[in-house]
Amino acid sequence: MDLTAIGAAIAVFTGLGAGIGIGVATAKATDAVARQPEADGKIMTLLILGCALAEATAIYGFIVAIMILFT
Amino acid sequence: MDIKELLKEILLKDKALIHLPFGNGKFDIYESVVVTWIIMAFILVLLLILTRDFKVHNISKRQAAVEAFVSWLRGVVGKNLGEEASRYTDWIVTVLCYLACANTIGLFGFIPPTMDINVTAGLSFMSIILVEAAAIRKKGAAGWLKSFAKPMAIVTPMNVMELAIRPLSLCMRLFGNIIGATVIMELIKHLIHIHSVSVPAIYPVPFAFYFDIFDGLIQAYVFVFLTSLYIKEAVE
Repeated sequence: MDLTAIGAAIAVFTGLGAGIGIGVATAKATDAVARQPEADGKIMTLLILGCALAEATAIYGFIVAIMILFT
Repeated sequence: MDIKELLKEILLKDKALIHLPFGNGKFDIYESVVVTWIIMAFILVLLLILTRDFKVHNISKRQAAVEAFVSWLRGVVGKNLGEEASRYTDWIVTVLCYLACANTIGLFGFIPPTMDINVTAGLSFMSIILVEAAAIRKKGAAGWLKSFAKPMAIVTPMNVMELAIRPLSLCMRLFGNIIGATVIMELIKHLIHIHSVSVPAIYPVPFAFYFDIFDGLIQAYVFVFLTSLYIKEAVE
């Protein structure tokens, strides 16, 4: 039985964590901007940094899935 | 052609574009290198046109716009680098311009060079060398070695591992994002191609805005942002 597609699907599950992480980060950033609108530049920088780091896990899962499927 | 074949063609095709005879074998020039040459030519010509006959007094509108754009770009990058590392601003701005062009060139039908993992690996390798060189330049070789044991001696293995993890994560983040965006755009174009009667041709436009322009620019910014953050941390 060929299980490579199921393996790739399990690898892509890392997107779950990344989605939750980016959602939490954005919610907190929205709160922070609502509380202190004058600090939005700094908050934006930190949000982009946090999203980049959280998103990296999803990207790793995606690359692993591609490697499972196509090599 | 089904989707699996299309994906195989995008992901596994021969990346070499030009085969030069070299000794007994061939010297391959990859497509990413050729597209990089096109980007270099584009930026060079753009700069030559935009920076013609600059003056000190009575500046033209074009000169004012170019100067405002350059100082805005330097300001954005320099804010992340901080005072101590402001000497590296020009390098970071250069990488930002190249990546912004490279990530959005999919709009013009080229394969983005950052879809080739060799390109992103080279860029992130240059980044980590710059970070460590900045640290050595600031603290001296002995101070650089000592900085691995900060803030406590027990974190030394983690700090040494970061030497490899940082470029790997920079490389994989850029590569994975661009390859994902390109694969999705190719799938959408394929869909348009097979259903060309029932689906209007402007259907991929919003997707192109997100995947080709927005995602590409964000990833270019994230790459240089993380690099400048590492440099700032290294020279502190």
